[in-house]
Amino acid sequence: MTVEVSKVYLLDVATGEGVEAELRDAIEQAQIDDWAKHWIPVVLAAIQDLVARQVPRADWPQSLHWNWPKKITRVQGMLAFPGFSVVAQGVTQGLAQLDLTRGCQEPGQKGKPLVYVEYLEVAPWNRSELGATPRLRGVGTVLLTAAIALSYEEGFKGRIGLHSLPQADAFYRRIGMTDLGPDPACQNLRYFEMTVEQARAFFEKEEGR
Amino acid sequence: MKFERSKEWWMARARREGDAVIGAGLLAFDPIPEERPASAPTAVVEETRIAFGRFVNLMRRRRGFSMERLAQVADLDASELLVIEDDLHYVPEPRTVFKLAETFEVSQQRLMQLAGLAAANDAGFRQEAVRFAARSEAVHKLTPEESSALEAFVAVLSEQEPKRVK
Amino acid sequence: MTAKRTMTLNLTDAEMRVLDDLSARKDITKTAVLRQALRLYQTIDARVERGEKLLFENDTTKEKAELMLL
Repeated sequence: MTVEVSKVYLLDVATGEGVEAELRDAIEQAQIDDWAKHWIPVVLAAIQDLVARQVPRADWPQSLHWNWPKKITRVQGMLAFPGFSVVAQGVTQGLAQLDLTRGCQEPGQKGKPLVYVEYLEVAPWNRSELGATPRLRGVGTVLLTAAIALSYEEGFKGRIGLHSLPQADAFYRRIGMTDLGPDPACQNLRYFEMTVEQARAFFEKEEGR
Repeated sequence: MKFERSKEWWMARARREGDAVIGAGLLAFDPIPEERPASAPTAVVEETRIAFGRFVNLMRRRRGFSMERLAQVADLDASELLVIEDDLHYVPEPRTVFKLAETFEVSQQRLMQLAGLAAANDAGFRQEAVRFAARSEAVHKLTPEESSALEAFVAVLSEQEPKRVK
Repeated sequence: MTAKRTMTLNLTDAEMRVLDDLSARKDITKTAVLRQALRLYQTIDARVERGEKLLFENDTTKEKAELMLL
């Protein structure tokens, strides 16, 4: 399988400069290695800090999880489950795993195919919730943009759906997605969907023409 | 799939993202256990919990919000706001505290500590909370004293916890 | 765009009608319908190969029907 690489840019928070990055339309072994070698130590340090401060388990930030490589490996080579990764400064900065088998929930487009974002995560050093100042900004946006672009390429007209993590709710509303409320089937995470019109607006906003 | 846009296009988006933490899906979400571990120093927790209820009450009134309006703005249940302000034994949901911190623009971590959902490791913060609770009364109009107590406490809440020395 | 290859497809009138109908109802092109069909077929086949069953459950009656494949 050949991986297509697109050039994208992220914002270096410390310098305010643009950083060149790769958007790759796959999650490969290198990403799983980066996750184990670079993401996990940062997450572990954060956990140690939480334990030291006696923060109850229930209040730890989300996405301190362990078992995704198994799940990612399982869907490799499957047409319905493409993945994206963002690589910059020699290391994986964010990952997304998609599912193309689902249908829309939003009443106006119910049952029509969409790109469902099964999993989207940004490297721990780029997240403000872990205490330190984020290093690179824009990784989540690149991954989300990729999901919408894939929806166009697949003929799904920009429709995407996802279950948001609570800290991300405001962001998805801000970019114009429809909030369909907490989903009891998914640990009460709120389900968001982007309609054809919302996807068009998402792209037009910055095109400037 | 190839997707090419200009550097400016991406930079504008990165800037717009701000400090938002973007994530999605159960895989990125650690199941939150049903039962919350009992916090050890109960008395301490109650002191700050009183301050939490007061804080929400005063911040809401300072903005001239009814409970319903605040519920709408913060995307919360009005009934939960009612028990937060009036029932000192009610332990709020982490999501609720997060939404309130976002709405009132104070540190999420600090507000979690105030709500008794996280332990503060500096005694000074607890003292500030108690002082604030003692200086404020849950009445209908903010008195000048309440306003200044609130201002001072918002400043404390906006600061992050001091970094621990390893 | 990812490079794609073109293939001629022979379909009966009945199959063509189904393709037209799905394309209209799902609001996707005929090519997208066929690519979606291929994805779903591969997904189901992989799970059946792992020893799983494909069941349909009626939401109201809770009646289950197994779809026999392969």
